[in-house]
Amino acid sequence: MYRYDEIDDTLVRERVEEFRGQVAARIKGDLTEDQFKPLRLMNGVYLQLHAYMLRVAIPYGVLSSDQLRMLAHVARTYDRGYGHFTTRQNIQYNWPRLVDIPEILDQLASVEMHAIQTSGNCIRNTTTDPFAGAAADEVSDPRPWCELIRQWSTLHPEFTYLPRKFKIAVTGAKADRAAIGVHDIGLRLVAGENGDIGFEVHAGGGQGRTPRVAVKLRDFVGQRDLLAYLTAILRVYNLAGRRDNMYKARIKILVESMGADAFTEAVEDEFARLKNGPLTIPVEEIERVAAHFLPPAADPRPVAKSADPAFLRWKAHNVKPHKVDGLRSVVVSLKPTGKTPGDASAGQMDALADLADRYGLSEIRVTKEQNLVLPHVAAADLADLHAVLAGLELATPNAGLASDIVSCPGLDYCNLANARSIPLAQAISKRLAETGLDEPAGELTIKISGCINACGHHHVANIGLLGVDKKGEEVYQLTVGGVADGQSAVGKILGPGFTADSAVEAVLTVVRVFTERRTGAETFIETLGRIGADPFKEAVYAD
Amino acid sequence: MKAITANRLEDGRVVYRKAEGGWTQHFEDAARYSDDALDSALEAALAEEGVVVGPYAIDVEGAALSGAKLRRESIRLFGPTAGSTREAAKQGADHVQI
Amino acid sequence: MQIEATCETARSAEAPQVLALPPDAILEDIANEIAGVERIDIHFPSFKDGRGFSLAARLRERGFEGELRAVGNLIPDQARLLKRAGFDRVAPDQSGQAERWNAALTAFSGDYQPAEDKTEPAFARRARKTRAALADALNADYADRPAREVLAAALDRFKGRIAVLSSFGAESAAGLAMIAEIAPDTPVFFLDTERHFAQTLDYRDALVKRLGLTNVKILRADRDEAAAEDADGQLWRRDSDACCALRKVRPLARALAGYDALITGRKRYHGGVRETLEPFEFDGVRIKVNPLAGWSREDVQAVFEKLDLPAHPMVEQGYVSIGCWPCTAPASPANVRDGRWRGQDKTECGIHQPLAAGGQGGPLL
Repeated sequence: MYRYDEIDDTLVRERVEEFRGQVAARIKGDLTEDQFKPLRLMNGVYLQLHAYMLRVAIPYGVLSSDQLRMLAHVARTYDRGYGHFTTRQNIQYNWPRLVDIPEILDQLASVEMHAIQTSGNCIRNTTTDPFAGAAADEVSDPRPWCELIRQWSTLHPEFTYLPRKFKIAVTGAKADRAAIGVHDIGLRLVAGENGDIGFEVHAGGGQGRTPRVAVKLRDFVGQRDLLAYLTAILRVYNLAGRRDNMYKARIKILVESMGADAFTEAVEDEFARLKNGPLTIPVEEIERVAAHFLPPAADPRPVAKSADPAFLRWKAHNVKPHKVDGLRSVVVSLKPTGKTPGDASAGQMDALADLADRYGLSEIRVTKEQNLVLPHVAAADLADLHAVLAGLELATPNAGLASDIVSCPGLDYCNLANARSIPLAQAISKRLAETGLDEPAGELTIKISGCINACGHHHVANIGLLGVDKKGEEVYQLTVGGVADGQSAVGKILGPGFTADSAVEAVLTVVRVFTERRTGAETFIETLGRIGADPFKEAVYAD
Repeated sequence: MKAITANRLEDGRVVYRKAEGGWTQHFEDAARYSDDALDSALEAALAEEGVVVGPYAIDVEGAALSGAKLRRESIRLFGPTAGSTREAAKQGADHVQI
Repeated sequence: MQIEATCETARSAEAPQVLALPPDAILEDIANEIAGVERIDIHFPSFKDGRGFSLAARLRERGFEGELRAVGNLIPDQARLLKRAGFDRVAPDQSGQAERWNAALTAFSGDYQPAEDKTEPAFARRARKTRAALADALNADYADRPAREVLAAALDRFKGRIAVLSSFGAESAAGLAMIAEIAPDTPVFFLDTERHFAQTLDYRDALVKRLGLTNVKILRADRDEAAAEDADGQLWRRDSDACCALRKVRPLARALAGYDALITGRKRYHGGVRETLEPFEFDGVRIKVNPLAGWSREDVQAVFEKLDLPAHPMVEQGYVSIGCWPCTAPASPANVRDGRWRGQDKTECGIHQPLAAGGQGGPLL
């Protein structure tokens, strides 16, 4: 993985000192709350219902074991013993004190971590495939490009006060596991005509109040031109994006109002001026960054056959193919039945860091599905690893299944939420276990957001729940048919909303109808496409 | 009746305005305001930007919270209804002494 | 960047040479108004409104060299971003806090992106070190290797980002023949100063055909620049450095964007600054490859004979280093460059200096 050089290290430490000064200025009265708010947000600090929340960046979801231990330390020392992994591959702490945050950031800097631009109207953490550098279907490793984008976007003089937040996702595999279609910019690594690797560029996607799938701006941008092209897009957006209405300020609205062709033309015009200028990435820098992401060595050890049904079930769902012989990627589920999706205790984090050292080349990934991944594990070690994970409540065999529920923190923590999310996730997970529907339904996505900002990604869930407030009551809208990865699609509302209890049963009913009506190995989307929404609707609203 | 709530600047914790001025974490010690008295009390609260963030009025009825934002304000007062740190908080594992 | 104490002066500045721009200004629409303006004030209605940063950067990129001032609701924490976006001054609504403004200017000692303050971005700083080390390493490996090996190594190592610079002069054919043999599609830049001897142009075309070079690029001065700087075509008489800058240095700098290595035909025996030439040199921007550095005049002659290469038609008239007709005279083979800019101190035209910095230079392959 990437390691800081002196330049990176200095910049992150100077950023800590800058924020320390800003916190002091706020407390002293030199900064008003209105002035301080964007500054703290750009250092990951929200003010939630009960306390400040600190969102620490996990750049493109990649962690070393030492970094994970530091995250555990922060959870133990400054929080209540837990961290919450987010749908954007970051981690959040729900209870830090503002006055402690400069110190927390200082400690994070000691392991090459930061909270820079994890919030605010700026370029956020670039996300990617959690199996990057490991996936068997990878065309090219996206991580070097994520790192180059991270550096380019950090403290950008032009793009720190954008109309609204800005999210970039990169995928390097044939199967898109980064949901590039619902990002402000989505990049796909592709081979060009002469075999060179470059980028297919999409822009204008997003979730939130107005979900949109991105449009393709270009089939191919050369590697060295990437930052010039991104700058062109951001510049058009920064100058022309709406600033009068925060709900219409995302780039998706600009792309839609200008029209994809006019937007593309404006970007191309800007790019023509920037191309071959100082933004051209030196080949040496591409090589330097790429050298941090070399593939692991093959592991030729023989694999003993296991007949343990618990192990086999876990292997079937949580173990993924690897591009290197003898290796596998392991999904560590943070979705035990009835628990809070994405939460990990300090003890679990420490233990997993040790396991990564022992079995996984000291590397851990965070997924947008709020799980963790050990990307490089020897097939020969899987049984041993499983046994230890099981003892830590980290071996729930449900990666990708219905019970692998994605949920935002909701009204239990979040200042923006209108309804709770976590209790529904817990109840659905329990009911799936009780009814035995989880396994037969196979791969199926359920995602819950507590407000229209859609941090729980409900728009792109096969089955989505959106919590709203109706005259003081929590009401949940049920959507079906959303897809995050690959051919992104926005789910459609099935009918009138539900109370919390009936929303849980409605979700169960949709899962049950699917298992009854599917033929062969159909996915939920395929069955829905074949039979339409009516059978689901009839069953859900039967009474 | 109304009360005034905010988050404390230094640590973000939920606080309520006291009758004599100043802030408390204990809702039972919060001042109750008639609609007439609210404006001047809120103005005084808003002036304390160096102590709290974003003071606003909430509905109260007798000793209890009420009104359209009851759920939200209950969660602010009593803590999250779910999430791992709720369980931890119940066991007294609040690592932050405030 | 200078911080003005209050905004009073900002708002009163109605002098005709000052242009006040709102944040939604569209530069394309006001290009005429900008011409001749000494200062542009860009208004920030809110410190959260970042349009002014892009406006400033765009103005600078499009060549505005006057003063840029940021005016309006700005906070000290933005000082450095403003400076980097190209502002010279800031006149904030909220006065005071000079200490915080100045502290913010120096809060960071390095930057990731190139910007209008022209500091070197991290990637360039790293690449420069790597490139300098690469030149040293290549010299260690190739110092005593034959020209062909040096050339083959360079063409392989910098594939796709290496070009050749050739004057199609007296010695050029020897090196070009070697390139044609290894990689005939290598870009070959020829600076057409429009002051070449007709013989040079004929010779160029004949040589390209004979050697089978497939990627010769003819570079000329920018039309607008030429009209502005050399309207009567006599600039070479008044200021030969300016003429070289217009017709050689700048066209080459533009053409070389995107190229990291440049092959030249310079040789130590040419004398002057060339006496210490190594096969690889880092000029601060790119690697210059000098495969023929160690060749003598006799070595060149031997290749011409062996391959039966045509000579430049002026060689037999006593021209041994051939540039533009106004600044080239015959010379003795012992001091080949004596015929260039005769009567001046000048020995190089500038293209062999680091192109980012401009400078002096000389002939080529």
